[in-house]
Amino acid sequence: MIFEISTSGNPLFSKIHPVLADILRAVAEDPWERYPDGSARLLPPPGEDEELCRDWEDHVQPELRHGFDSDRALVFSDLEAMKPGRGKNAAWSLEIPFKHVDAWLITLNALRLALVSENCFSEDELAHKTSPDLTTERGLALMSVNFYAFVQECLIRAMEVGDAAEDGTPGTE
Amino acid sequence: MANPDLQESPVTELSEQLEKPWLVIVHNDPVNLMSYVSMVFRRIFGWTRERAEKHMMEVHTKGRSVVWSGGREQAELYVQQLHGHLLLATLEKS
Repeated sequence: MIFEISTSGNPLFSKIHPVLADILRAVAEDPWERYPDGSARLLPPPGEDEELCRDWEDHVQPELRHGFDSDRALVFSDLEAMKPGRGKNAAWSLEIPFKHVDAWLITLNALRLALVSENCFSEDELAHKTSPDLTTERGLALMSVNFYAFVQECLIRAMEVGDAAEDGTPGTE
Repeated sequence: MANPDLQESPVTELSEQLEKPWLVIVHNDPVNLMSYVSMVFRRIFGWTRERAEKHMMEVHTKGRSVVWSGGREQAELYVQQLHGHLLLATLEKS
């Protein structure tokens, strides 16, 4: 898989292996449906004050959830536009409109948090101190968490380049 | 001459001055990428890269960082924005 900034200034992933393309498509799945236990992490309480927490649950969390759902809908539309290569097992390409990068970062982060919480991954596992066992669902989930982190890092880099271009300053290394 | 409609009562002004500020605290979560946390801080608080990274490292090494202090309403707004980016954040009285 190759990451670059397209001539339009958009993040562009190309030569995406079909297996990774499938893992990418899973980004648009609703974590609340897919990982109901792990999704508790996505709407944490704002503190210890009971009244504050009650108000937060009633008024703020529905708004946050709506925001996450809207971001995921944007990601879904971008994934629908993912372009296949020619021939059997050909690689895919995905160009993400720059204005959607925020939505992608949040959606990827939500999925990573839900996956980690659902599978109770340890810090050692997350720090790559153990190799995932890809013959198990848990191992595949850990691989996905790491792959999504890579995509996030690429998009953050793209955002820095985009912001620098707007400011008229050189991008940072 | 002062407009009486715009004057706050002295009691309200004094109580606001004496009220302890609310703190916005970001807590560590090993899943959040350091680059992501730094980016979110710059986005929400308008900080320079250096300041954002300082607070990000504080979260990473000490487990938490006080990122803002002030009135309750603004504190709640910041916590909501931080939650909107999936950072673990809380507000508490200082």
